Amino acid sequence: MSIIQAQNVKKTYNADTIPVHALNDVTLNVEEGEFTAIVGPSGCGKTTLLNILGGLDDATLGHVEIDGTSITQMSDSDLIDFRLHHIGFVFQAYNLIPVLTTKENVEFIMLLQKQDEKTRDARGMELLTEMGIADKADKRPSELSGGQQQRVAVARALASKPKFVLADEPTANLDSQSTKDLLDIMLRLNEEEGITFVFSTHDQRVIDRAKRIVYLDDGKIVNDVTVKK
Amino acid sequence: MLLKIAWRNVWRNKSRSFIVISSIIVGVWALVAGTGFMNGFMVSYISDSINHNTSNIQVHHPAFSEDKDIQFYIENADAKAQTLRNIPGVTAVTKRVLVNGMIASAKKASGVEIRGLDIANEQQVTHLDSLLIDGAYFEGVKRNPVIIGAKLAEELHVRIRSKIVLTFSDKEGDMVSGAFRVVGIIKTSAVNLNEGTAFVRDADIQSLLGIGNNYHELAAVTQTLIEEQVVIGKYKNSYTEDLIEDWKEIAPELAYASNMFSNMLYILMGVILTALVFGIINTMLMAVLERIKELGMLMAVGMNKSKVFFMIVIETIFLGIIATPIGLLCGYLNVRFYNERGVDLSEYSKGLEAFGYSSDLFPYLEPSVYLTVAVGVFITTILGAAYPAYKAISLKPVEALHKI
Ligand SMILES: Nc1ncnc2c1ncn2[C@@H]1O[C@H](COP(=O)(O)OP(=O)(O)O)[C@@H](O)[C@H]1O
Ligand SMILES: [Mg+2]
Repeated sequence: MSIIQAQNVKKTYNADTIPVHALNDVTLNVEEGEFTAIVGPSGCGKTTLLNILGGLDDATLGHVEIDGTSITQMSDSDLIDFRLHHIGFVFQAYNLIPVLTTKENVEFIMLLQKQDEKTRDARGMELLTEMGIADKADKRPSELSGGQQQRVAVARALASKPKFVLADEPTANLDSQSTKDLLDIMLRLNEEEGITFVFSTHDQRVIDRAKRIVYLDDGKIVNDVTVKK
Repeated sequence: MLLKIAWRNVWRNKSRSFIVISSIIVGVWALVAGTGFMNGFMVSYISDSINHNTSNIQVHHPAFSEDKDIQFYIENADAKAQTLRNIPGVTAVTKRVLVNGMIASAKKASGVEIRGLDIANEQQVTHLDSLLIDGAYFEGVKRNPVIIGAKLAEELHVRIRSKIVLTFSDKEGDMVSGAFRVVGIIKTSAVNLNEGTAFVRDADIQSLLGIGNNYHELAAVTQTLIEEQVVIGKYKNSYTEDLIEDWKEIAPELAYASNMFSNMLYILMGVILTALVFGIINTMLMAVLERIKELGMLMAVGMNKSKVFFMIVIETIFLGIIATPIGLLCGYLNVRFYNERGVDLSEYSKGLEAFGYSSDLFPYLEPSVYLTVAVGVFITTILGAAYPAYKAISLKPVEALHKI
């Protein structure tokens, strides 16, 4: 069964003034275990699509189901709760709470899920170790490099045991070494733990490592390639 | 962890937090000090009046108050005074003969209220002797001593041992006069005592009036204001024919002033707290706008609105919790400092004394006022936090994240 099912999704910004058709009839299914890149030039609608798939924004027309649950009609507060339990997010920037330490940032999401302190502590440490930043557990985000911050963000996204992780241009602000490191970690999580990733990018080095590439142009899917390795 | 985040957020922008904290400190301080001064003013005004003038409770013949007709004296005043004295909570009782008349010196004459005093008990009740600035308390001459106020003495051009004549109507309505000798001069902030009253011994005036051993007024002092109504109730159980009143009824202007002062305190509190609310709204709104992306991210990853709201309110409450005790302490020390030293108002006292104020002000606050202020500030803090917090939760995560 698909974890993400988007059907005939349309998104029009400023419908009543100067309409911008950001998405035009996008239909996309994502299966469990995929490592999918949404690719396309700036302004083609990548962020809009990820926001709609993640329940952060609503579609003008069309229908989105996550793990069999329709999120199209959900109220704002139900959506917040739904996101907390089903979706992990990694944004381009501003992922972390600056006043919390790395480990506290990772634990915070589990706290929102009302998990007990022992579980939070154990899983927090485990994830940071997995991301190779266990030694930074007590540092504040501002004391970390951009690449390290994004790794904390991935750890935070995984902490809630989501169905899948949505990452909007997670490497956009990173140098090539950090980009490679982050991709290594994401791929390993995908291969070893079966974690589903859907991420957007326009960076060729990132595209090269995706297993499925969805090409978006002008709000439409123009190509959808599954790479055989 | 919400508390941890809120607490650390307080220190994130130190200068902004410092501004909020110091404005709360100044607000609380001003509130406490202002209230202390005004309250000190009121308390000394009222207690001066009660201590030297009205006492807590007075008893009259019901018809006496209207036109002060000397025929309406209190029946069995001695027994009633004794009854009052025996009621728990009553600390002193005195009897008075009251008559309006004329006072005349060799140079001048003037209208005057003559009070015939049960002199030993009067000392306990109004501490009249403590107001003497010259002479002695009904000592120095054997026959017909009189004590008058400094202002009246000045007007009549009399001094200690000067002779004056008191003239009034007796029981039959005939004019009678008596020669008295000034033995004491008092000075007080109460206008009527200073300018328009002559104090004599009860027996001296009773014989001139021909009313026998009768009195027009009983005045009683209670331990505190609290006992007044109990005492009045008990007295009414024993005697139904008399009019017994507390100081608020005797001097409605005092009760009015007391009310007016409390209202002014509430207005002062309202003004300061309103200013605080807007100050807090302003700074917390800045704090929210500054963190708009972070708040968007928190809601995006699953922090619900009530938690976000709560987090911002808590952050503001922390500011209040840091600031309020400091402000209260500053205010308290301020009030105590001046309570011990007194504030000399003599520069303004010419005007103030006319209204019955003494010229030294002792700021004073009931401990409960500090609690009221603390609660007021706490509520203010929450009110001030509510709007910014509401703004924060009305953000849509996508929009917040996209704001640059
Ligand atoms: N909030 C918005 N209001 C109006 N237009 C928007 C908004 N967000 C995005 N757009 C427009 O929608 C199109 C797609 O944007 P976006 O999804 O951000 O593209 P990408 O992430 O691929 O760069 C662009 O033309 C962009 O200008
Ligand atoms: Mg984008």
